[in-house]
Amino acid sequence: MELDLDESSLAIGRIERALSRIEKALTDRANRPAAAVQPATADQSALKAEVAAVIGELDRLIAEADRG
Amino acid sequence: MADVKLTIAGRPYDLHCEDGQEAQLLQLAAVVDEKARAMAGGTEVRQLLFAALMLADDAQDAKGKIEKSEPQSDSLRAAVALAESREAAARDELRAAMTREQTALKELEAARQASSAAAPSAPPSHDRALLQIADRIEALAAKVEQLP
Repeated sequence: MELDLDESSLAIGRIERALSRIEKALTDRANRPAAAVQPATADQSALKAEVAAVIGELDRLIAEADRG
Repeated sequence: MADVKLTIAGRPYDLHCEDGQEAQLLQLAAVVDEKARAMAGGTEVRQLLFAALMLADDAQDAKGKIEKSEPQSDSLRAAVALAESREAAARDELRAAMTREQTALKELEAARQASSAAAPSAPPSHDRALLQIADRIEALAAKVEQLP
């Protein structure tokens, strides 16, 4: 039981830190001059798809936890 | 019975007492003799009269002192009784608290066992999913940081 709780806390901590990193990177990118920001590439489209997939996975997990 | 020879105010007296009480009798005679000799110059009867009066005065003084100290003793006894009753009440309270704590611990353990029996596999699967999501978001963060 305690191991489960520790693993959850560890995972949530990792998720929070990774989200902060993403937020910081996006803020830095938004603050850069428009000319320096390159147009979207195929890699970035894949990135968006991965973000949508992760969000979907999180939604599924939250719904499962809500159901108990 | 024991034979004891006393001397009070210069006159010898032969007395009997129970075995073992000789020393006490001699000590009492010495007290009377001391009082009698304090009235030097009088007749033997007067000496004994004054000795008796002085001893009666001593006895009355001692009795007065005992009566005076009795209220103090009573208040001390009452304080001791109060302290003892408070200690007993505190001990009872502590015992009741310990019983309550043990009951709560048992209830907690029962609830823990009931919850682990009711949902045996859900938390580990959630943990695995969370860890996978953490891996994916960390990979995403690395990619976002490397965006041109």
